[in-house]
Amino acid sequence: MLWQATVETLTMVGISTVVASVLGLPLGLLLACTDQGHILENSFVNKVLGAVINVGRSIPFIILMVAIIPFTRLIAGTSIGTKAAIVPLTVAAVPFVARLVESAIKEIDSGVVEAALSMGASPWQIIAKVLIPEALPALVLALTLTAVNLIGYSAMAGAVGGGGLGDLAIRFGYQRFRGDIMLQTVAILVVLVQAVQMLGDWIARQLYKR
Amino acid sequence: MIRLKGVTKTFDGKTTVHALRGIDLHIPAGQIFGIIGQSGAGKSTLIRCINMLEKPDQGQVWVDGVLMNELPPAELRQERKKIGMIFQHFNLLSSRTVAGNIAFPLEIAGAKRSTIESTVNELLALVGLEDKANAYPAQLSGGQKQRVGIARALATKPRILLCDEATSALDPETTKSVLQLLKTINQELGLTIVLITHEMTVIQEICDTVAVLEDGVVQEWGPVVQVFTRPKAESTKRMIRGSISTQIPQELMGSEKTLLKLSFVGQLAHEPVISQMIRKYSVDANILFGKIDQMKDIPFGMLLVELSGSPEHIQDAIHFLQAQDVELEVLS
Ligand SMILES: Nc1ncnc2c1ncn2[C@@H]1O[C@H](COP(=O)(O)OP(=O)(O)OP(=O)(O)O)[C@@H](O)[C@H]1O
Ligand SMILES: [Mg+2]
Repeated sequence: MLWQATVETLTMVGISTVVASVLGLPLGLLLACTDQGHILENSFVNKVLGAVINVGRSIPFIILMVAIIPFTRLIAGTSIGTKAAIVPLTVAAVPFVARLVESAIKEIDSGVVEAALSMGASPWQIIAKVLIPEALPALVLALTLTAVNLIGYSAMAGAVGGGGLGDLAIRFGYQRFRGDIMLQTVAILVVLVQAVQMLGDWIARQLYKR
Repeated sequence: MIRLKGVTKTFDGKTTVHALRGIDLHIPAGQIFGIIGQSGAGKSTLIRCINMLEKPDQGQVWVDGVLMNELPPAELRQERKKIGMIFQHFNLLSSRTVAGNIAFPLEIAGAKRSTIESTVNELLALVGLEDKANAYPAQLSGGQKQRVGIARALATKPRILLCDEATSALDPETTKSVLQLLKTINQELGLTIVLITHEMTVIQEICDTVAVLEDGVVQEWGPVVQVFTRPKAESTKRMIRGSISTQIPQELMGSEKTLLKLSFVGQLAHEPVISQMIRKYSVDANILFGKIDQMKDIPFGMLLVELSGSPEHIQDAIHFLQAQDVELEVLS
């Protein structure tokens, strides 16, 4: 039972982290690059995108989960269970990733971008050969933070029928007064978070050349 | 090679800054052209206008017969590949090795793998960093980083090299060796080098021509020796006074004797003019301060001399010195 719940949690977190990264990375890049003085300066795109992302980030997860049920049903074909939980988790994580990516990109010294411009690099080349490689350690840490956050959110999704460790803790640990199960799920969550964080830190350290 | 016509640039922010107010300059091919000025004079803005990192508000920038101002993006990128640039803070990619950094502009230009490899090796040898090919910038000293910057700037075989305070973050020894490298590049590859600095010694060391920039205006320009020994603009004089720092003690200034500042340029620096003067006219000369320097390859000497004798003799002596083409300033 605990094993199955752990697998469900890992599935939810894993898939939503990957999908949110794939969607959030370009948004974050676009946000950073359209900022004033950057390579694709465009204040209209920047402001609109920023506003949309802020709206996404300000909706509490519990509310978001309920609010997008029709959308969830459209994508996952159902609105309960592990598969369904992945949709709101991803939707919640995309703007989060986008902001983290944006700040990772903005950390890069503008002089490096300028050097690339002086060599005649195109915006695409700068994104692919300067921005992403230079920000890579920070990007790895950003994804680590996202995964850790999603572990927490997934427990919340579990509480409303999403499966996984949160579901187990509520149904058995809380409603049936099984303190031991409650304790075990919490312990597993703690270990998961630690493991993800350590792995992320380790990868980032390997990539860090400064 | 490079021609600026009436270039202006204004920054609108909380306060409006007129960084450049009508710059006219001609930088001939094959020269090392220095632009000197104090902080905020507009030097960086000026050099960045040459490769359009900064777009001038008005005026024209011609590089090698191409009008840079209105080029569409793709053509501008093409032109930029012919202009190398190095920076005060090096601006190397921290995620790439030395070899990777030098390869970068070649990758940008779409060069073949084999070409990249051989060019990188050549350049590593040119800047003397063969043994650092696989080091990351964080493992290098400032001087080594700037050598990587230079190698990187040369990778696409540009005709022009722009240097924005390339030695300002380096100690005097390292500065000398980096300047020496620039000089070698200028002579052996025939590159036109434009460098900006706030240090007179940098100009003196390697430049052929210097332009003095103040408040976004070129105050004067010409051959280095001429500008530094016969400065016309007030800002040049101030700069030279600052650098030679001949702070003359007050009591000497007040004395009855005649105080002269003499500058000798080129061959004249080898001539024993002072002893000739003493022998020909009955005056005594007391040397208070002296130094001999080099401007690029031209010797340049400076003497602070106190003359004593009868007024007529002193007059004659001064005329003699002037006749010898000594640059002379009577201080008291
Ligand atoms: N992007 C910018 N926005 C607003 N003002 C600017 C900008 N770039 C430069 N300036 C202003 O223009 C003036 C000239 O700047 P510039 O950087 O060309 O000077 P500089 O001679 O290179 O000085 P330094 O020796 O300190 O590098 C300064 O007053 C500076 O504050
Ligand atoms: Mg500057």
